[in-house]
Amino acid sequence: MNTNDHNFSEPDERVALRESVAKLAGKYGREYVERQAASGGKMTEMWLEMGRTGFLGVNIPEEYGGGGGGMSDLAAVLEECASAGAPLLMMVVSPAICGSIINRCGTAAQKQTWLPAIADGTHLMAFGITESDAGSNSHQITTTARRDGDEWVLNGQKTFISGVDEAHSVLIVARIEDEKTGKLKPALFVVPTDSPGFSTAPIEMGWMAPEKQFTLFIDDVRLPKSALIGERDGDLWQLFAGLNPERIMGAALSCGIARYALDRAVEYAKERKVWGDKPIGTHQGVAHPLAKVKIELEQARLLWQKAAALYDAGDDFGAGEYANMAKYAGGEISCNATDVAVHTHGGNGLTAEYGLANMLVAARLGRIAPVSREMILNFVAMHSLGLPKSY
Amino acid sequence: MNVVVCVKQIPDPADPGALDPNTKTLKRDGKLILDESDSYGVEMALQLVDAAGSGEVTLVSMAPNGEVSGLRTALAMGAAKAVLVSDDALAGSDALGTSKVLAKAIARAGEADLILTATESSDGYTGTVPEQIAELLQLPSVTFAKEIAVDGSTLKVQRQTEAGYDEVECPLPAVVSVTAGVVEPRYPSFKGIMAAKSKPVDQVTIADLGIDAASVGWAGAGQEIVEIAQAEAREAGTIIEDDGEAFAQVVKFLDDLKVV
Repeated sequence: MNTNDHNFSEPDERVALRESVAKLAGKYGREYVERQAASGGKMTEMWLEMGRTGFLGVNIPEEYGGGGGGMSDLAAVLEECASAGAPLLMMVVSPAICGSIINRCGTAAQKQTWLPAIADGTHLMAFGITESDAGSNSHQITTTARRDGDEWVLNGQKTFISGVDEAHSVLIVARIEDEKTGKLKPALFVVPTDSPGFSTAPIEMGWMAPEKQFTLFIDDVRLPKSALIGERDGDLWQLFAGLNPERIMGAALSCGIARYALDRAVEYAKERKVWGDKPIGTHQGVAHPLAKVKIELEQARLLWQKAAALYDAGDDFGAGEYANMAKYAGGEISCNATDVAVHTHGGNGLTAEYGLANMLVAARLGRIAPVSREMILNFVAMHSLGLPKSY
Repeated sequence: MNVVVCVKQIPDPADPGALDPNTKTLKRDGKLILDESDSYGVEMALQLVDAAGSGEVTLVSMAPNGEVSGLRTALAMGAAKAVLVSDDALAGSDALGTSKVLAKAIARAGEADLILTATESSDGYTGTVPEQIAELLQLPSVTFAKEIAVDGSTLKVQRQTEAGYDEVECPLPAVVSVTAGVVEPRYPSFKGIMAAKSKPVDQVTIADLGIDAASVGWAGAGQEIVEIAQAEAREAGTIIEDDGEAFAQVVKFLDDLKVV
C-alpha cells in the first residue's frame, strides 16, 4: 500500500487500519502500561494480541505470514498505539529493524525461519548495535565474529539494548573480515538469548517503562553458519536496510506520544476552571502553546509519512534524508508536547496519577536515540545543504 | 450455514450529531460508520459460520449516497459480501418502510439459514425493525439473544431477560436480534482490511428490489416526527450519609435498578 506523495490523505485502508489498531490499543491504554511498568511486567498480552490480529507484521510479505503492506502501514500502527498511551517500543526493533533487514537481506531459509514468528509476535527479536565506545558509529564497533570451521564465534559488548529480557534473540551487529580485502566490515548475526556465553546486565533507567535497557556480554558465543544474515559479502547496506525503518518508526512513536499528551492537555484545558466559570483553555496563554504543538505535530507527521512513502517506493537514499528529518521533528514534538501537557496541568502534571511526568522523561529519548539531534543536523548540513563535513 | 446480518451505517456517535430542522430527522450527509451495536451480530454470525465449518456471512444495509464505509468495516471483520440498498426515494423512511426494504434485500442476498440484527440502532432506537422483518418474511422472531447455538435445523437461543435468561427454541430459518456486549467483536485485521476492498457489494435501488416508491420514504411513512424538544435535565443524585447502615440503602438502590 504505497502512498502517492502528491496525495496528502492516507488511503482508506490505512485509515481503517488506524481505527482498528486504536480500538485494540485503547482496550489496554496508559493504565495497562503504567501497571505493567510498576509491577515489573511486560507488554506481552497486548503484544501477542497485536500479533494475532496481524498488526505487528503488516510490513512483512504475505508469503511469510505478514500483511504485505509497507513501512507506512507499520508506522501508522505504532503511532496509533502510542497515541492510545501504549507505545510498543519493541515494534521499532522486532518487525521494523529486524523484520526489514531479514526480509531484504536474508536467505530464503532465514526468512522462513524468522519472519512468520516476528510477524505474529511469537518471536521477539531485539537489535544490538550500540557499544559504549562507538555509539551508533558502525565503523567503530569492536564486537567481532570469526569463523571456526562451520561455526561463527562472537565476542564483544553492547550497551543500551532494549527489551533483551523479553526477547528470544538479538540481531547483533558485529565486524567480520572481508575475504577479498581483509578489512573489517559490519555483519549481522541472529543470537538466541539462551546461547552459552551470552549474558546481560540491566541498566537502571530514570523512568518507568515495561521495556528495560541492557548491557550485553558476548563471550565466545558459538553460532551456526546460518546465523549470519545474508551472504558474506553483504556489506554496510544491510545495516541501512534496518536503520531507515528505525528512524521512521522512532518518529511515528514520538508523534503518537505527542498526540497522547496533546489530547490529555486539551481535555484538561476544556474542563479545568479556576477563574470564574471559564475553563483555562479560554486563555490564550494556555491555548496558544497547545495550538503550536498541534501545528508542529502535523509537520512531524507529514515528514515521517513522506519518509515512509519513499522507503516503500524503494528510494532508500531519499528515505534516508527524510527519515532523519522526521526523527528530528518527532523528537522535538514529543518533548514539546509532553512539556506543554505537563504545564497545562499545573501541579497535577507532575503527579503520578496523571502519568505525564514519566512520559516527559520517556519522550526525551526521541531526541537522543537512535541517533542524536546533533548528528541529524550534521547529516542535513552535509548531505541536504552540501556544507563541509564538521566531524 | 449462511447467515445474513442487517447492519446500519450511522453518523459517528463520537461527533455531535445534528438534526435537520425541516425534516426533524438526523442529518446523514457525512461519512457513516458501522453501528457498534451491529458489530455483535456480525461477530456472532462469524462464530456460527466458523462452528458450522461451511457457509458465509452476508451483510444487508440501507444507507444514503451509496455509503459503504461501515460495510467495509464488517467485511474486514470477515463477512463475505454485502447487499446495499441506496436510493434517494428512501429518505424519510420510518421503521416499517425500512423493514420492507431490508426484507426484500435479505431475499436478494440468497438462501439464509439465519438472519441476525441488533436489538435496536444507536441513532434511531425504535427497536421494532427486527420483528417487522420477521413478520414480512413470515419467519419466527426471537429477540434479545445473548447466546445462539444451532442444533440441526433447530435454533437454541438464550434470551436475555431482566432476571436472567430464557431458553428458547425455534426452527430455522429465523430472525434473531442480538443483545449488545454479549460477544467481543474482533478487530478487523490488516489482511481483513485489505481483503475487504475487493469483496463484492451489490448496490441496488428500490426498483431493483421491486419496491413501489410510494410505499417507502417520506411518501410511505406512517410515522411522523411532529416535534423535537430538549431532553429534561437529569435530576440531582441522591446523597446518602453513612450512619453505619448506608450499605443497606446502596444495596436497595442497586436492587431497584435490577443490577444486583
